[in-house]
Amino acid sequence: MRAIFVIYSPYRLGCRIMALVGSVSNLKDISFYKNVSASLKKIRQKGLDVIPSVQFSQEKLIDTLGYIGKNFSSDKQRLALGVTALATQPFIDAKNRSVDEKTRKVSVARTVAKIIAGTFTGFFIRYGCIKGIKALSQIPSKNIPKIKSLFTPKGVKSNTTDEFEQYRNAMGTVIALVVMVFTNFLIDAPLTKFLTNTFVKHQQKGDKK
Amino acid sequence: MKSLSNLFSSFKSVMYKNYGENPGKMLVHTGVLGWILSSMAQVSAVMFNDKIPKEQKSFLIPQEIADAAINIISFYVVTSSFKNIASKLVSTGKLSTKSIRSHIERSGKNLSEYLGKIDTDIAKDFPEIKGEYKTFKNGVDVLASTVGSVISCNIITPVLRNEYAARKQKQIIAKMNGEDKKQPVLKPNRSLSMEGYIKMASEKYPSSFYSSNLKI
Repeated sequence: MRAIFVIYSPYRLGCRIMALVGSVSNLKDISFYKNVSASLKKIRQKGLDVIPSVQFSQEKLIDTLGYIGKNFSSDKQRLALGVTALATQPFIDAKNRSVDEKTRKVSVARTVAKIIAGTFTGFFIRYGCIKGIKALSQIPSKNIPKIKSLFTPKGVKSNTTDEFEQYRNAMGTVIALVVMVFTNFLIDAPLTKFLTNTFVKHQQKGDKK
Repeated sequence: MKSLSNLFSSFKSVMYKNYGENPGKMLVHTGVLGWILSSMAQVSAVMFNDKIPKEQKSFLIPQEIADAAINIISFYVVTSSFKNIASKLVSTGKLSTKSIRSHIERSGKNLSEYLGKIDTDIAKDFPEIKGEYKTFKNGVDVLASTVGSVISCNIITPVLRNEYAARKQKQIIAKMNGEDKKQPVLKPNRSLSMEGYIKMASEKYPSSFYSSNLKI
């Protein structure tokens, strides 16, 4: 019994863990680690050397980049994804040689329907939630009802900083994702089904002509 | 044990600390979270659907999980790689603005020796231009994340998924023709196409069953 206690005593276990942590942190002093690290650094530097250096001089371009960084949040990203999806995905499905022609046509119709339904709900729910979080993350003061500062983090004194704006976008996006778990079934799935059937019927009419 | 209000307060602080200064990172993380939640919804739709027989579930659940893994891994790997490479290019000065380079030059650094070196970190070396640098970096990060997500969601994932779906379709048809004699409603004729399969499945299962891969 004493032997078991000695082997498994918390003190000894703690010592062993500390020793293990110590040996892991000492890894950095081992020459093998140093060699691997130096080799990786060389590879990364070579990769970086391959990429040409670019200097942005046009004010308009720099301002546009600044605008994107500040204002291009998840709702706009979802819209961009949807628009580009319409330009690429149906063509990828249409050129899929692994399936027969009929399957390809249904697959294109379904993809277009899915993109329209997903982009529609994805954009508007994100947009609405980000707006909602903005309304509910005011800086607390006597004139502001408590509910309007529900999402304001502790210690924030100004709501005009870029950091705070990005926080609002992030919080709005997270809330939107939770909302969309439900709308995925309530709106996206039935809308996708309806649009797919409409497109397939339209295709069949076109084929008959 | 923390109270609910304390947990919510900590959550707000974590969000503010992590994403307040890094919108590109936020887009990558919320994108991954979006795919995870969407996939979880699809898997649970199959899992908790009483109309799907047990034998079908044992096949459909792993299929949904595999599909989810393709979506999530492809999105994360491609988008975060784009974002990380863009961040490194900006922090080392490979991608930079004229005024940032002028400032570095004025400080006495040799541009050809300083820019594009793996250890170079403009934000650390020149805190006095933090505002200008950060505005530029955030723009490049967000643009890179968006381009990465477009390539991953709209090109790589559909190609991989088509390949995977075609294989699965063949397996399903083979299984239906051969083993699955317990399901007369779903038993197809020899020339079953995806359209026919969807039609038959729609008679058997509700819409949520065959509405997988909806990006939320």
